This record gives sequence, structure tokens and C-alpha cells, in this order.
Amino acid sequence: MEYFFEIFFDGLTRGSIYALIALGYTMVYGIIQLINFAHGEIYMIGAFTALIVSGVLGALGLPGYAILLMTLPVAVIYASAYGYTIEKIAYKPLRNAPRLSPLISAIGMSIFLQNYVLLAQTPDFLPFPSLLPPLDVVDRFHGVLSSSEVIIVVTAALVMAGLTAFIKFTRMGKAMRATAQSPRMAMLVGINVDQVISLTFIIGSALAAVGGVLIASHVGQINFYIGFLAGIKAFTAAVLGGIGSIPGAMLGGLVLGWTESFATGYVSSDYEDVFAFALLVLILIFRPAGILGKPAIQKV
Amino acid sequence: MLKLIDVEAGYGAIPVLHRVSIEVGKGEIISLIGANGAGKTTTLMAICGVVPLRSGDILLDGQSIRGVPGNRLVDMGVSQVPEGRLIFPELTVAENLDMGAFLRKDRQGIRDDLDHVFELFPILADRRHQQGGTLSGGEQQMLAISRAIMARPRVLLLDEPSLGLAPLVIRQIFGIIQKINRERGTTIFLVEQNAHQALKIAHRGYVMENGAITLTDTAARLLENEGVKKAYLGI
Ligand SMILES: Nc1ncnc2c1ncn2[C@@H]1O[C@H](COP(=O)(O)OP(=O)(O)OP(=O)(O)O)[C@@H](O)[C@H]1O
Ligand SMILES: [Mg+2]
Repeated sequence: MEYFFEIFFDGLTRGSIYALIALGYTMVYGIIQLINFAHGEIYMIGAFTALIVSGVLGALGLPGYAILLMTLPVAVIYASAYGYTIEKIAYKPLRNAPRLSPLISAIGMSIFLQNYVLLAQTPDFLPFPSLLPPLDVVDRFHGVLSSSEVIIVVTAALVMAGLTAFIKFTRMGKAMRATAQSPRMAMLVGINVDQVISLTFIIGSALAAVGGVLIASHVGQINFYIGFLAGIKAFTAAVLGGIGSIPGAMLGGLVLGWTESFATGYVSSDYEDVFAFALLVLILIFRPAGILGKPAIQKV
Repeated sequence: MLKLIDVEAGYGAIPVLHRVSIEVGKGEIISLIGANGAGKTTTLMAICGVVPLRSGDILLDGQSIRGVPGNRLVDMGVSQVPEGRLIFPELTVAENLDMGAFLRKDRQGIRDDLDHVFELFPILADRRHQQGGTLSGGEQQMLAISRAIMARPRVLLLDEPSLGLAPLVIRQIFGIIQKINRERGTTIFLVEQNAHQALKIAHRGYVMENGAITLTDTAARLLENEGVKKAYLGI
């Protein structure tokens, strides 16, 4: 039973991270029907920013939690700036082009950012400091769940609750939903659609950066390539939940996280990715719109 | 108040509007009638900047609004009820109305206008928490008009509000359009295929054929015009 819970919490942790990244895919898709392939790189850049900032702060001799509290906002702002800029230079000029063009532009952006970090930093794995402070309470359950898992899950839950409240209750949140449902009408009621799109990229990037910093601290190493696999997994989670659906991305992330953890824990770690993508294939066959997605016909 | 001067516009290389000149005076109801594909919707899209002008000009209160992005027009007092209503399907009725008031900050005024809208269309008050996409066609049209009113416009543009509605609902909606004009002094530019209803409530009318204005007169005289009767009134 203890083993089961250990795996359960491992899956919950992975799933929370996937969910954080998947939200960026799903929100951007919801508004401009683009799969932002460069989104995984935003997550990677968030982690790299955190590595650099925490290195500097660590050299100053600041305590761990202070480093985390200062590193996270910097990583978030930096990654958001990247997300915002990518949209402006790689997607906005192609707003009225055929749908394949921005998609190719996105893949180009992804490759560019990977290589940029590879050249500017290093191709090797770099150790990432454990920014997540140990919690005494949690450590009593030693083995079943760790402090960093608790911090990751709780942080992700808070961030997602905040996002949900923003989307649901604020006027700007409503404007985002309105723009996703009818950009033409959104414009006619006075919504600046370009601004809403920028905001979507900024929020998605911020969430990915939070995910990047959390998981890098948990795993303990990063390189320029971590965004690729995490990106594909999170994209899978978004499709699983129903691309375009915000609760879908959250649910899809968790389902994927658990699938991977249980496959690893009860079958073999070699099968982690096999199960993840087999699940995707199954969902696409039996529920093409995803768990919470609506069939395309219903889209007005 | 709103003036189109020799407007030429179209999609890509295809010209649609040919030297269209229309004047909508303050407090007037002006109807633009024409058959399918005449260019009525294109005229409205040219006003809100979705379709760029090739030549000519559009004036609002004497100022050119050529090239002004559509989302800025609301602030200048122009609201639109577009063709096909474009209700936000997954926003509730209340949220749709709130989006109509997107740029407004006067909370009290918004609340007053919400009461006003619910007075005009009591059914919307009952359906307040229902998703817009689940409303009936008539209710959606009421919601689209209400959403436009929530911006407290000086000029209201309506694109075929009668489309797909039963005669009784059409009469109700046109009655309300007239009421909005009378009670709030809102200027109305109404685009319609239903020429009879549109001309009955209008002060003046324009007839559009193949992208050009072929006739303009007072609404009463257009209703008596033999050509209009034959082509648009089915008499
Ligand atoms: N997006 C578009 N691209 C190319 N041509 C278009 C486009 N929209 C409309 N047209 C063409 O422009 C012409 C005028 O269309 P418009 O929609 O303005 O007509 P309408 O008077 O509103 O007709 P209806 O009463 O059927 O709505 C038509 O010939 C139509 O085919
Ligand atoms: Mg039309």
C-alpha cells in the first residue's frame, strides 16, 4: 500500500507539471488555433533563468527559501517576455496566412531557441540546485512523498486555482473567453484582440516557467533539450484533456502523470513513454475531441 | 452623424462596393435594403474597418474614421449587431451582456442599462445564467441587440435582425428597435432584406443592388415605389 501511494504522489507531481505546461498549449490553441511548438522551450528558458539567478543569489549567501522567492518571479518575467516576443515576431505577422505557416514558424522558433541556449550555455547537463526547502511535517512520511513533491503539487494547485478564478470572474478573463469564441465579435464590442493574444502568451509562458523551475529543482539537472520532451508530453496532456479546454489541460496533465507513474511503477520504467503515447492514441480513437473537449461540429 | 462618401471596398481583388454614399442623420432610423449578395454586410464591415476602403471616406461626427480599428469604434459611440448575431456561445447571457459593456467603467450606469435591457426583453432576465449558445434564435437576436445597447451607443448598426425569425418575433424586435430610437435618441442604421418591416420603422431608406445605391428616398415613399414593391415587397 505504501508503494501504491508513493507512485500515486509521483504521478500527481509529474501531472501537476504537465498540467502547468499544457495550459499554455491549450490557451493559445483556444484563441488562435495554433500549436505553439516553441512552448516547451519557454519552459526550458524559465528553468535556465532560474539556474542563473539562483546561482548569483546563492553566491551572495542568501538562504534557500529567499533564493526561491526571488528566483521564481524573475524566471516568470523572463519567460513571459520570451513568450510575448515570440508571438510578436513569429506568429503575429502570419495571422492571416494559411494555417500551416504559423505552425512551421513555431517549429522554427523551437529549434532556434534550443540551439540558442545550446550555444549560449552548454550542450551538457547542468546541476540544478534544490531550491525547494525541506518541510519537517512532510519528512515524517519519508519514502512515500517528499517535501519537494508537496511544494510542487500545492504551488501548481494554487496557480491553477488563481488562473481559473481569473478566467472565470474578471472582465479580462471573460474577454479572453469571448475572443476564443468569436474574435470578430470580440473586436466589435471593443476588445483589443491583439492585446488578448499577447496576454494569453504571457500567462501561458508564466505558467510554464513556474513548472520549469519547480521540476528542475526536483530533478536536479537541466539542459537545452528538456523543453522538447516536456513539451511533447504536455501537448499530449492538452490533447488528452481536449485541446482548447482549460480544465481539460489540468485533467489531461494529471491523467498523463498517473499513467506514466503507474506504468513505471508496476510494469517497467522502459515503458513510461510507451504507455503515455498509447493512452493518447486510445483517446484519439475513442474520444477524438479529448476528455473534456467538445466535438468539432458543436463549435459555432 | 454617420456619413459614407463614395465608398469603394471589396475582398482581395474583388470589388464589391461601388461609390456608395449614405448619410445617417442624428436620431434617424435609416434602412438599407437589398437582395442577397448586394453588399449590405460589406457596407457594415467597411464601417467597422474589417474590410479596408479602396477609396472614399467614412465620417463619424464629421471626422474620418477610415483606418480606425474596429475595436476603437465602440468608444466613439458605434455599436453593432452583426449578421448571424455572433453570440459568445459559451458565455452566459449575463456575461455576454457584460462584454457589451467591456470598455465602460461606470458601474452604476452599467447596472441601470442592464435593468433597462431586462425591461425590454424580460426573457433574458430569466435566462441570465444560461449559456448564450443554448438560446433560441429569437432569444439570441434579443441578446445581440441587448449586448450592443450595453455599450450605450450613439449609433447602432444592425445587420438583418429579422433573419430566420418568426413574424411575431420580428415585429417584436422591430418594435423595440423603434423604441430604442425614440426613448434613448439612438441613431439606427438598419440593414435588411425584410424591406417591408425595415421601411415601416425607418425615416429614410436606401436601396442597394450589386454593390451600388440605386435609389434613396423617405421610407414612406419607398414603400409606395413601384420598383421597390416589385423587387422587395413581393407585391
Ligand atoms: N469574405 C469574403 N470574401 C470574398 N467575397 C465576399 C466575402 N464576403 C462577401 N463576399 C462577396 O461580396 C458580395 C456582397 O456580400 P455581402 O455579404 O455584403 O452581401 P449582403 O448584401 O450582406 O447579402 P445577404 O443579404 O445575403 O447577407 C457577395 O458577392 C459575396 O459573395
Ligand atoms: Mg449580409
